[in-house]
Amino acid sequence: MLEQMFTVAFLTTFLTSSVRMAVPLIFAGLGETFSEKAGILNIGVEAIMLSGAFFSFAATYVTGNLWLGLIGGMIGGMMVSLIHAVFSICLRKDQTVTGIALNMFILGATSFMFKILVNNNPDFPQISTFHKIAIPMLCDIPVIGPAFFNQDIIVYASYVLIILSTLFLYGTTWGLSLTAVGEHPRAADTVGIKVYTIRYLAAMINGVLGGLGGAYLTLVQLGVFMENVTSGRGYIALAVVIFGRRHPIGVFLAALLFGAADAFQFRLQAIGIQLPSQYLTMLPYVVTLVVLLFSAKGSSDPQSLGKPYIGDAR
Amino acid sequence: MIKNHAKIKNNMLNILVIISIVLIVATLLVMAANKSPIKAYQAFLFGIFGTLNGFVEIFVKSTPLIFAGLGIAVAFKSGFFNIGAEGQLYMGAIGAAATSIFLTGVPGPLRLILSIIVAFVFGGLWALIPGILKVKFNISEIITTIMFNYIAINITALVVRGVLKEPGEYLPQSPMIEKAARLPELLPPTRLHAGFLIALLMVFFMWFIMHKTTIGYELHVVGLNKNAAKCTGISVMKNIIISAFLSGGLAGLAGMGEVLGIQFRLLDGISGGNGYTAILVALLGFNHPIGVLVSAIGFAALQVGSNTMQRQLGIPASIILIILGLVVLLILAKDMFFKERKITINTVKEGGE
Amino acid sequence: MAFLKMEGVSKFFPGVIANKNVSLEVDQGEILALLGENGAGKTTLMNILYGLYSADEGEIYINDKKVFFSSPRKAIKAGIGMVHQHFMLVQTLTVLQNIILGLKPKGYPFIDYKKITNQIKLLSNKYGLAIDVYKRISELSVGEQQRVEILKSLYREAKLLIFDEPTAVLTPQETDEFFDILQKLKEEGHAIIIITHRMSEIMQVSDRVTILRDGKNVVSLKTNETNPHELSLYMIGRELKDDTTKNDVKTKGELLLSIKNVTLKEKSETKLNHINLNIHRGEIIGIAGVDGNGQNELANIIAGIRKCDDGEIVFSGESINKRTVLERFNRGIAYVPDDRHKDGLVMDLDVSHNLMMRSYKKEPFSKHLVLNRQSIIKMADNAIKTYSIKTPNTTTDVKLLSGGNQQKVILARELYENPELIVVSQPTRGLDIGATENVRMLLSEMRNSNKSVLLISADLEEVLILSDQIAVMFGGQIVGIMNNDENLDMQKLGALMGGHLDQPSDVQEQGILMGSHLKEVSKQG
Repeated sequence: MLEQMFTVAFLTTFLTSSVRMAVPLIFAGLGETFSEKAGILNIGVEAIMLSGAFFSFAATYVTGNLWLGLIGGMIGGMMVSLIHAVFSICLRKDQTVTGIALNMFILGATSFMFKILVNNNPDFPQISTFHKIAIPMLCDIPVIGPAFFNQDIIVYASYVLIILSTLFLYGTTWGLSLTAVGEHPRAADTVGIKVYTIRYLAAMINGVLGGLGGAYLTLVQLGVFMENVTSGRGYIALAVVIFGRRHPIGVFLAALLFGAADAFQFRLQAIGIQLPSQYLTMLPYVVTLVVLLFSAKGSSDPQSLGKPYIGDAR
Repeated sequence: MIKNHAKIKNNMLNILVIISIVLIVATLLVMAANKSPIKAYQAFLFGIFGTLNGFVEIFVKSTPLIFAGLGIAVAFKSGFFNIGAEGQLYMGAIGAAATSIFLTGVPGPLRLILSIIVAFVFGGLWALIPGILKVKFNISEIITTIMFNYIAINITALVVRGVLKEPGEYLPQSPMIEKAARLPELLPPTRLHAGFLIALLMVFFMWFIMHKTTIGYELHVVGLNKNAAKCTGISVMKNIIISAFLSGGLAGLAGMGEVLGIQFRLLDGISGGNGYTAILVALLGFNHPIGVLVSAIGFAALQVGSNTMQRQLGIPASIILIILGLVVLLILAKDMFFKERKITINTVKEGGE
Repeated sequence: MAFLKMEGVSKFFPGVIANKNVSLEVDQGEILALLGENGAGKTTLMNILYGLYSADEGEIYINDKKVFFSSPRKAIKAGIGMVHQHFMLVQTLTVLQNIILGLKPKGYPFIDYKKITNQIKLLSNKYGLAIDVYKRISELSVGEQQRVEILKSLYREAKLLIFDEPTAVLTPQETDEFFDILQKLKEEGHAIIIITHRMSEIMQVSDRVTILRDGKNVVSLKTNETNPHELSLYMIGRELKDDTTKNDVKTKGELLLSIKNVTLKEKSETKLNHINLNIHRGEIIGIAGVDGNGQNELANIIAGIRKCDDGEIVFSGESINKRTVLERFNRGIAYVPDDRHKDGLVMDLDVSHNLMMRSYKKEPFSKHLVLNRQSIIKMADNAIKTYSIKTPNTTTDVKLLSGGNQQKVILARELYENPELIVVSQPTRGLDIGATENVRMLLSEMRNSNKSVLLISADLEEVLILSDQIAVMFGGQIVGIMNNDENLDMQKLGALMGGHLDQPSDVQEQGILMGSHLKEVSKQG
């Protein structure tokens, strides 16, 4: 059994599918990172991803164009996060309750719309997916090459996004403003930063990225949409954000870990090993909890996470 | 706890507006599905009132929602944001199944009672850990309870493939629980079982606890104002822990009902999201035990009715999730429609501060 | 030509006049001290100037040009910088990042760390504000954080700097350093306003003083033409009448509560510093002092809400250090917190449920955990009658009651079990005259029935009216205890409250003097 696992072929396919499994989590996790850094805890990532997955599928299904599908996914995600933003920023409602209600609402809405969309068509609604593009040189590195550098364009986009987000959050004044809004909105206000605007923008970024994460599921991984296609990945993205300590690179690594846990069970089944995969699926959650426990004192939570800001407090 | 006529009148108005919006949306959805709204409503009503089986099914479906909804309501009342009813439900299911499968020597009815207790304790402990993490380490229960959901789901998957697996069978499921240790059927051939009666009992019990005892009083105070609780000597820590345990225990009973009353065995995915639905049920019931009962039955009726719509007319049953989500969002958004009569408190802010 | 001129500024909040026709001016190279008690309207005035509030009446001129600031951003643009009492710094960001927050520095949107570091270095050298710009705020001491705030304003090219209680959180040493910085700022031609109620500071650093009282201008003086005693009289203002209800009983009852050498620390800050205080039966001890000098912490450690780090609290001959809030209440210690809404009441519960908060576990209100609603309502009805609480009925939410009636609910609750000692904090804050009278009567009655009262109030008049003895708190210490009789030295009292512990001979030695003075006064008391 062990010999089987430590072959190059096994490791390569394992790592390759880990990356593919991780991509939706990378996007959604990054989006939620922006949102949480600005002080909005959006439990509705699941809804964002699901909406992204549906609208990307619908757009591609109707137009036959994958790129329009991607755009559809981004818009689908953004609509959901904007609803959440209106409730939590404008109406100052409980962000968790809003998120849960949205999860339920979007689960119903996407299932409903999907049925209506494909009912006219008796064929199994399959769409073509993005193709792999090998990056010369890099893809020849053993194991890592095929896993990271023989993937589709969206995977590469996620790498670029990680770098850009890191640069944005830690290298620009915009990133500073975002952090300030999540940590100490009043301080941000007193130096003339527009707290509400920034929170809305962060929510939109969350929607676009979460929508992309969902789109990846339908446009690349599956080629189809089905009811509840995200099946809890949005909640996993929340864990990814915490595990990754709200740093883009941390989010990337955490998503890879969760992706690897997912991929490993498929690999094991593929080579016929009957080891209960649940130990592995469960592991990232347990690790996240342990991380939470040990970082409880030096918590990375933004000080005003989940708290509405009232501009004229007095 | 407090009666206020203007408030009730205002609420009634809100509810009427929300119901009309929901009816309009539902009609539009049915039309979007290219079906006749009239036929749809006929099918809907037929599903609910047309057959005894359909009507009774409402109470079957409402049972786990009542249990878990009561649990969430008590947690929310005391300021413990328990999103983990789903996981607690699974743990309760495991507890109930394990007890009735392992204690074959114990006579049926006694085993049943033990199963119920163990289910409560399993669910309760599963919520207690996030509770302790909250009060001792200040870790947000929102995230931990979600993590605990997934861990519980995986544990369930593990036990139905491991210790509780039916010997000699391929499917991941526990052996059948023998009839004597099940919840008694109430109205054969319908699926109605004694779990519903226990749920009703729990509604009364929780109403009594929350509104007639010092325990409920303390939970209310802690949920409404932790500072005032501290200043008058009511322990915030103790009460959060009590509410977490009660909350998880009740959700655990929901799992027990599914195992001992419906499936008669432990299965993968035995909850099917009831733990999440129950959050909305609790919110719609204003976290009041009676409210939870009403909204759980209401939601179950919606479920039964729309299932019939799907069977008869092919209208997707997911319509009820849309409606449930919509109702909660509308309740949250009601400030946009109604300017609530602002009650000015006579607070005099001193100039200097 | 003054740099800044405010003329006839008024600001009204619902039910309160925060500022009425206030005028002040300050020139470049000048330090103006804005003096007044809590609630005199200083902070409101400065918030108007900084664009956080808009004035209801009056004008603001900068360099004789009329201006109007609708937001802090506009005020900053006009060269106004404010160092808030609670620093507006983001703890997780570095010094440099905080300084450029909200600006578009060179290289925008990227941050040219090198260049900005050099710019800040220039500033910090010029003003003697040494700081490591790459440190996170959370790693800095309070004094250092204040420097960051100053640099933040200077980096925005502020001409006028406003300091709100700048020394309240500083150690004596940090205070000295801060004064040096102020001097530098002044020399460089900045206009400075410092809000304070500490005499020593005013005498030491300011050029002129403007005194506010009850939201109005009292007087503006040149610092070198006045003295702390005159200032404190202007600040306190009232003709301190001798006809206040002095206690005729002069024989003290037996010792009830004894606080021995109690210290309380919060994080690294010392909130209470070796407090010693005795309270006897039949007396009211008033704690005078400006808000935030440890009064609340003192109340909390007596009520048991916080546990002291060092020292002992003895009540009726028993050490109660380890007793919980409830155990202390059952032994006869009641507590009326200063913030009714936050700590005193549950606003969303009704009158009866608020009245029962202390006693619900006892018969007849509950038995075997089951509440007896009837007896609770009966108790509530009685309380409403006894304390003449104005409420439609016992099931009205307390949030619908007026402030005075809310306070009566708390008092009724705390007095229900006939406590031996009641600790009251700001008992009449925000109440109208009638309600104030009522509350004061209740406290006097407590004393007259051989019980004890610890009265914490920022309202000096109240302390003078009610107390038998007055203890003054400053910087977490009791800096003086005196008898409230005809020999009471008002000027000394005012000086103590302002942290001015001795004659204004040498303020530099203040830190050392404080200790010796403490011993002296406690002997006296």
